[in-house]
Amino acid sequence: MSQHLLQINNVSKTFALSKGRSLTAVDDVSFAVEKGSICVLLGPSGSGKSTILRMIAGLEAQSSGTIALKGAQIDGPARERGMVFQAYTSFDWMSVGKNVEFGMKINGVPAKERRERAAHFIGLVGLSKFIDTYPSQLSGGMRQRVAIARTLANAPEVLLMDEPFGALDAETRWQMQELMIEVAEASGTTMIIVTHDIEEAIFLADKIVFLSSHPGRIKEEIIPEFKPAKRIRNKEELLECPGYIDIERKIMRMMREEGQH
Amino acid sequence: MRQKISTGRKPKFLQVRVSVPRRQMLISAIGVWVVFFGIWILATSLHWVNPLLVPAPGDVLGATVRLFANGFGSDVLISMMRVLVSFTLACLVAIPLGVAMGAFPAVDAILAPFVSAWRYLPAPSFIPILLMWFGTGEAPKLALLFLGVIFFLITLIADHTKEIRKELIETALTLGAGRWATVFGVMLPAVAPNILTAMRQMLAVVWTYLVIAEIVASTTGIGAMMMRARRFLHTDEILSGIIVIGVMGLIFDKVFAILHRRLFPYLQEVR
Ligand SMILES: Nc1ncnc2c1ncn2[C@@H]1O[C@H](COP(=O)(O)OP(=O)(O)OP(=O)(O)O)[C@@H](O)[C@H]1O
Ligand SMILES: [Mg+2]
Repeated sequence: MSQHLLQINNVSKTFALSKGRSLTAVDDVSFAVEKGSICVLLGPSGSGKSTILRMIAGLEAQSSGTIALKGAQIDGPARERGMVFQAYTSFDWMSVGKNVEFGMKINGVPAKERRERAAHFIGLVGLSKFIDTYPSQLSGGMRQRVAIARTLANAPEVLLMDEPFGALDAETRWQMQELMIEVAEASGTTMIIVTHDIEEAIFLADKIVFLSSHPGRIKEEIIPEFKPAKRIRNKEELLECPGYIDIERKIMRMMREEGQH
Repeated sequence: MRQKISTGRKPKFLQVRVSVPRRQMLISAIGVWVVFFGIWILATSLHWVNPLLVPAPGDVLGATVRLFANGFGSDVLISMMRVLVSFTLACLVAIPLGVAMGAFPAVDAILAPFVSAWRYLPAPSFIPILLMWFGTGEAPKLALLFLGVIFFLITLIADHTKEIRKELIETALTLGAGRWATVFGVMLPAVAPNILTAMRQMLAVVWTYLVIAEIVASTTGIGAMMMRARRFLHTDEILSGIIVIGVMGLIFDKVFAILHRRLFPYLQEVR
């Protein structure tokens, strides 16, 4: 059996609410993520996508089941599982360069190497000109690039992203999606991306884990097999792929069925 | 935000949230003071008021010059030192405690019930006991100023620390930061501008307690001078004291504003 990078087995999460009530947000979810792949968690609002991602990050403890990275049970947040949030998380008091160096600094990477790695990843997300700028002077899309560079520079085993482009305008979104493919190709980073944008999911995913809501369960794992072995790098090309429309239609139908519950 | 006034539309004086041109701002600011002093001068020169109770502005100015010629400077210096020493002590205690309360719920669980109870006790009610404990030296005054702001300062800083966005902290954690790296590397710098603002607000309160302390239990300082002046019916000197305190407050406030600009340049460049 090939060893998966991340293995999620029978994971459930029940939140205790007030007055003794409780809510099962995630129910018996199992899936695996292969090294170097992009896995997308897709599903309607309330299907537990964020909760699953937060459990993988170690920010939330599962109620039952196991989550293992390279065979080792995860226990709390750590550098190996870097997370990018939908809300802006730039450290406003530091320049873009220092933001990207932050993770490496607390992890004891020597200053010279830190600067070099930061410069490399800032270049990768296309912000070299802004290395000495404060984040508050950047646009939303640029700030999200900083967050991505900051996480990547910290060399995580897996990059977790919770609707990272949800707050961006349509054009910036495409650019960011294309950027993620570029980054994946260049760095080989494993990614788990949460979204409820179907097109985004199909464009980015090597595998889509589709969740249904209340409680959050896996409805189906979808592999967009129509995609060529080498990842498609721009959106237009994706739309022209034979087979794309079929998958989109299928997922839309699943979303609609969910909505009727 | 500057708005262009379209031709043909007569601008109204009162406009909801439409900013005022610089010239109008200047005229308004000077105007209100001219009116204030105008009324004051009129009232004294036309004898609407008893000059013993309300001296003319010129007399107050004269009294101020006279006071400083006769060693009032040392009183001002003493008052300033009291404010600075007690406020520095209060900050040294409040900043670590407030941040710790905001960062660690376990600390908050211990300190919040204690601090919030003390906060509602008016500090001047401690004056009699402070005098008994510390005698008549500097200690009871410093203690009063300290008590007057410490609990508010702690609460303000703790609240600001609690308001730091969760994502910011979780980002640090998933970058591999331990709790100390999270507190010192992210939370403290994130809350620092708010701490400075809280200090600026509370410093004004320290001045209030200073005057109370010096009026009630002191022979030195600006407040004590004012009480002495009262005994000899020197209203001009009392008003001088008030003006000096106001000017000192303004200066300190300005210092904080400059400090804010210097320490947090990234907040200035937003515009
Ligand atoms: N800390 C919490 N306490 C209580 N209930 C929670 C908590 N976090 C999430 N939930 C509940 O768990 C369910 C799943 O939430 P989750 O945020 O994981 O969904 P999601 O798929 O990310 O939705 P969205 O697309 O709206 O972001 C929801 O019903 C939510 O109300
Ligand atoms: Mg979510």
